[in-house]
Amino acid sequence: MSSDTTGTDHGPVDRDLADGTSRTGANDRSGQTVLSVSDLRTAFFTEKETVRAVDGSSFDVRAGETVGIVGESGSGKSVTARSIMGLVDSPGQVLEGSSIRFKGEELTELSQKEYRRIRGGRIAMVFQDPLTSLNPVYTVGNQIKEALRLHQDLRGSEATEVAVDLLESVSIPDARRRLTEYPHQFSGGMRQRAVIAMALACEPDLLICDEPTTALDVTIQAQILELLGDIQDERDLAIVFITHDMGVIAEIADRVNVMYAGEIVESAPVEELFANPRHPYTRGLLESIPGRHPDEEQLRTIEGDVPTPNEPATYCRFAPRCPKAFEDCTAVHPVSVSVNETAEDHTASCLLYPEDQSREDAVETHRARGDAAEVTAGASTDSSTGASAESSADTDPERSGSPDSKAAGTGEDRREGSR
Amino acid sequence: MVPVTITGMTIVFMVIRLGPIDPAAAIVGLNNPEGIARIREQLGLTQPLWQQYIEFMVDLLTFDLGQSWVIARGTPAYELILIYAPRTIWLGIWSVLIAIVIGIPLGFYAGLNPNTGGDYFASFGGIIWRAMPNFWLAIILVAVLSQSQELFGFSWESWIVETNIVTPPDLSFFSEPMGLLTNTSAWTNGLIGALKAVAPAALVLGSASMGNEMRIGRTAVLETINSNYVETARAKGVPERAIVWKHVFRNALIPLVPIITGEAFLLIGGSVVVEVVFAINGLGYLFYTAIQNADLPLVGSITFIFILVLVATNVLQDFLYTLIDPRIGYE
Repeated sequence: MSSDTTGTDHGPVDRDLADGTSRTGANDRSGQTVLSVSDLRTAFFTEKETVRAVDGSSFDVRAGETVGIVGESGSGKSVTARSIMGLVDSPGQVLEGSSIRFKGEELTELSQKEYRRIRGGRIAMVFQDPLTSLNPVYTVGNQIKEALRLHQDLRGSEATEVAVDLLESVSIPDARRRLTEYPHQFSGGMRQRAVIAMALACEPDLLICDEPTTALDVTIQAQILELLGDIQDERDLAIVFITHDMGVIAEIADRVNVMYAGEIVESAPVEELFANPRHPYTRGLLESIPGRHPDEEQLRTIEGDVPTPNEPATYCRFAPRCPKAFEDCTAVHPVSVSVNETAEDHTASCLLYPEDQSREDAVETHRARGDAAEVTAGASTDSSTGASAESSADTDPERSGSPDSKAAGTGEDRREGSR
Repeated sequence: MVPVTITGMTIVFMVIRLGPIDPAAAIVGLNNPEGIARIREQLGLTQPLWQQYIEFMVDLLTFDLGQSWVIARGTPAYELILIYAPRTIWLGIWSVLIAIVIGIPLGFYAGLNPNTGGDYFASFGGIIWRAMPNFWLAIILVAVLSQSQELFGFSWESWIVETNIVTPPDLSFFSEPMGLLTNTSAWTNGLIGALKAVAPAALVLGSASMGNEMRIGRTAVLETINSNYVETARAKGVPERAIVWKHVFRNALIPLVPIITGEAFLLIGGSVVVEVVFAINGLGYLFYTAIQNADLPLVGSITFIFILVLVATNVLQDFLYTLIDPRIGYE
């Protein structure tokens, strides 16, 4: 569809209502909310600059649901996962005002010791490279049993029995013998199965998969995706699935968050996102899937690179690469809004939306909300209101100059505005 | 193993027989051409070279080490080596141990606390230890210790037990292990004395290895701690202490194995200089005098022993690998 018409539709829109319904509707749709991330900001403080790797992203994950996070390299996907796990290493830091609620518990306030109980026990993680994510000098059984001992206090033959069951549940044949083998005796796909078994050892409520299939070949990839689907059905597991592969996302995700330069730019159920992408970035991503345009000689691409988000956003970070960018894009930071009145569960951070408002009204909407508070996607839940109010106090003075510097177009002017 | 030994011995043969060393001249003196010719005849040096070579090899490989020609004429080389070896072994063990016990923990500490004051201190110290040449450090240490009373107000020579600074360690307490029970205080005094006598030399000999192991240990720990399996272990909720002891150390030891066994080679060679400076008349010292006096059978025998030790450490290294790293095994 074309977005040229979006600005012409003058619908009376109550902003709050539009936002509110998008979340409430989603909540009714499926199980209980397991994880609620709101206004997550993770920054890396180096001597040269402060890189805001994740800059105000918010999303919910419900039991039995798979939430996909897609984006290019450097868009902040992995840092989001690490922030949830509490594994952000120095000089990285989850900033004040971020909120990660897991089953009603605020994870950002936990001590390291309390976090360890959650980590591996209730939230587990599967990493990208199965070839290196098992310790080469210990048997697979040893490493699975380590998790069992830590979180369920199982030892000896009892732990062995559970470990055998786990390996069988990830379809590894001859599990009992396999337990006594070392990782190098496993093939790549087998190792990833073993890693998944290890992650499932303590029956977590949430599984975070950070590109778990990227290092595997395509047939194994399909098997692992199928396995994850089966496990999810069995255990009503919530999964956060991080990848840059749109094909994988289409296969496994129920809901997709598209990340760009630390921000979630679009969020929608998977069918909706693929059928009706709204954000120009999402469109670009989908256009660039090989085979989308079989009659064209060259692959479609998005020109340019992901910028390093090293300053608070006072403009649309995608604007320099955006085919639909207009003047205000370089002066107003878009916030997450429903794409139109009827699309309850589809939000985008783009000045083109809500598409049923005039462009001027839409821009005004974004500016007003951006100024009032650092509200981001799905910020209608109670938990995040307090957090966003806090953070707005930090960021407001920095942002105050931005609405005035409307005349822009070059990168230089943009930077002027942001100072 | 066997080819290494044979090649090594062949090179040794070529060096000592084709070189300018003339044992006959060493025995009777240069001014006695008749005597030289007679002695050459006696020692079999007039035989064709290939015949000498075969005899040399066969003798050594059947562990017939022959007799000393010059230093202690008529004494079997085997006996001489037995007399001198214990002191070298005693020195070698302690210098390897000092390097392992100080170097590796320091390296691991530095690797676990990168870019802190402690790390900089340890790393810089490691570079300094590595950079100081043995002969220089040995002389400086002797100079400092002999003036310890003036410099630090404490006398190294009379500290705990009376010893000289430059002295061979007295290992007689080893010959009567029952002394530990029957005559405890004298026996432990003997042990402490032997330790103290060898300590400065061991420190010098171990200094470079210590620095090496510190640097390699630091790098190995840093590499391991950033690896994916450590991250996975963290994500499993393993406490930091267990991560370090279980997941980091064993992997970090893998690159250290060849370093440690490699240092063991160096200790044999390095001991010549250090033994001479500290007057520890061990194998290195014997080797040195044997070369000076053109005592060919003794030189050959000692190099043969050195080569055997080298091959043995190589075997030990492979064995250690299989213990630490399950990826390496015998087919």
